[in-house]
Amino acid sequence: MNNQTIRLIRAELRLMRRDPLVLTFVFVFPVVTMLIIGGAFGTTPDQAFDYTNPSHWYVASYLTVVMGAIGLIMVPVHLASYRERGVLRRFAVAGFPRWSFAIAELTVGLVTTAVACALLLVIATPVYGLPAIHDAWRVLLALGIGAVGFIGLGVLLGSVLPSARSAQAVGLVLFFPSFLLGAGGPPPHVMGSAVRAIAGPLPLTLLTNAVREPWLGIGTATTSLIALAGFTVVVTAVAARRAIL
Amino acid sequence: MNITDVVTVRGLRKAYGNRVVVDGLDLDVPAGEIVGLIGANGAGKTTTVECIQGLRKPDAGVLRVLGYDPVTQAGQLRPHIGSQLQDSALPDRLRVAEAVELFRTPHGRDGAELLEQFGLTARRRSAFASLSGGERQRLFLVLALLNRPRLVILDELTQGLDPAARRDVWAAVRQLHDAGTTVLLVTHEMDEAEALCGRVVVMRAGHVLDRGAPADLVDRHAAVATIRFSLPDPPAGLLDHLSRLDGVLAVDRAGSRVTVRGDRRIIAYVGAALVRWGSVPADLNVHIPTLEDALLDLLDGDAGPGAATELIGTVR
Repeated sequence: MNNQTIRLIRAELRLMRRDPLVLTFVFVFPVVTMLIIGGAFGTTPDQAFDYTNPSHWYVASYLTVVMGAIGLIMVPVHLASYRERGVLRRFAVAGFPRWSFAIAELTVGLVTTAVACALLLVIATPVYGLPAIHDAWRVLLALGIGAVGFIGLGVLLGSVLPSARSAQAVGLVLFFPSFLLGAGGPPPHVMGSAVRAIAGPLPLTLLTNAVREPWLGIGTATTSLIALAGFTVVVTAVAARRAIL
Repeated sequence: MNITDVVTVRGLRKAYGNRVVVDGLDLDVPAGEIVGLIGANGAGKTTTVECIQGLRKPDAGVLRVLGYDPVTQAGQLRPHIGSQLQDSALPDRLRVAEAVELFRTPHGRDGAELLEQFGLTARRRSAFASLSGGERQRLFLVLALLNRPRLVILDELTQGLDPAARRDVWAAVRQLHDAGTTVLLVTHEMDEAEALCGRVVVMRAGHVLDRGAPADLVDRHAAVATIRFSLPDPPAGLLDHLSRLDGVLAVDRAGSRVTVRGDRRIIAYVGAALVRWGSVPADLNVHIPTLEDALLDLLDGDAGPGAATELIGTVR
């Protein structure tokens, strides 16, 4: 990898550590909501949760909340802010390789995802216990595809929205319904059919299904995984073109 | 195209929607010179330099910068250019020393030395967001010069700088010139263009109005010097004498205020005459035409040698 790209990745990682938006929304929000929601339904297996422990259901779901927060809030706001303020133009005229910023964003997004997910599991384990992973490879595959897809979506949103404020507004509007319908809200079995029909094709729902079902052993979620992979390919291809300096 | 030119632009055209911002522009920047792009807001100066840097794709025209086509070879070109952009920033939380580390390539200059030269050593641990406007400009200049560029593009170089900082920056640009670096300077500050540029290009509405050395532009478009002074009771015959001096175009009296206009020689002749006649006024004021006068004349559309003649007619 080019030396300038490595320096850009290092600088972006350092800046990410200093960003209060990242610290609160990506690291704190999923943990706090998981602790609240995960404890709300007790630990007795229930039909609404596919006969699994509700706390475990939410532990297995909340890793995707991290990815949603990164892809729908953190990356778009960060990128739109850079574009709006001319930071990207400065990188461009300084001769940074054309793909360097896209690579840096992907790397920073993946590192943030990994750290935030690890933090979530470290806190969840002593409180609710870590649910056994029935199909680890399928879970890891879904997490990997989902992480790339949501970072790609974030880059795409950040490159088309005109300002950081608009990116934040649009990101919040997209994030909270996705969060409530597809990851951290009530289980699909208690939703009405209309709400479930809306929730089903949302990218965060697909990702959550693709992670939760093989994790808890309640299914393979192959359809969700294939749909998620298609979403990731399309979004990442478009985002990569948009992120060229 | 001249092979000694660092920048050659022929027939550059750029429009945003229906608004044509640059229309058929030709521009040459010879190696080792400081060339200024001047003109009113919206003249197309910044768009021109953005096309030269490969930041914008021209609608038409041929551009060669250091032998590269900025449209298709931006990646190869940009490492050779040092740019200080008009509307740009760094990440808010990036510190000064980190910015230098981030932008410096292995063959680059000593960042600490440049920070010292531009008075930023004490701010090396400060975040970009905490810098004043002047400090930001100086940091951008440090970054522009960091990697020994062959061409430096400076857009509104001294915007937001106090007079002392401006002089320091000017001195740095002169040092660059002395070292053989080519500089393309976009500015609204006519004193800056006059002080730094070997030649300037005057733009309005995407066109070049005129180009040349600042002194030549002043001669062409603002050749009239003006001397003003008060003489409540001028000696008989003095004003007639002044009006017959070489180079004097007009002598006007309004109450005790006397205004003499003419070419620059009148400064010496009128001064000598006032001394000889024993009438040296305490409020003697001399206005020597500047590049700003020439620019205003050009932008008003009163270009050409007729401007001075017209002035005599109206004054007399």
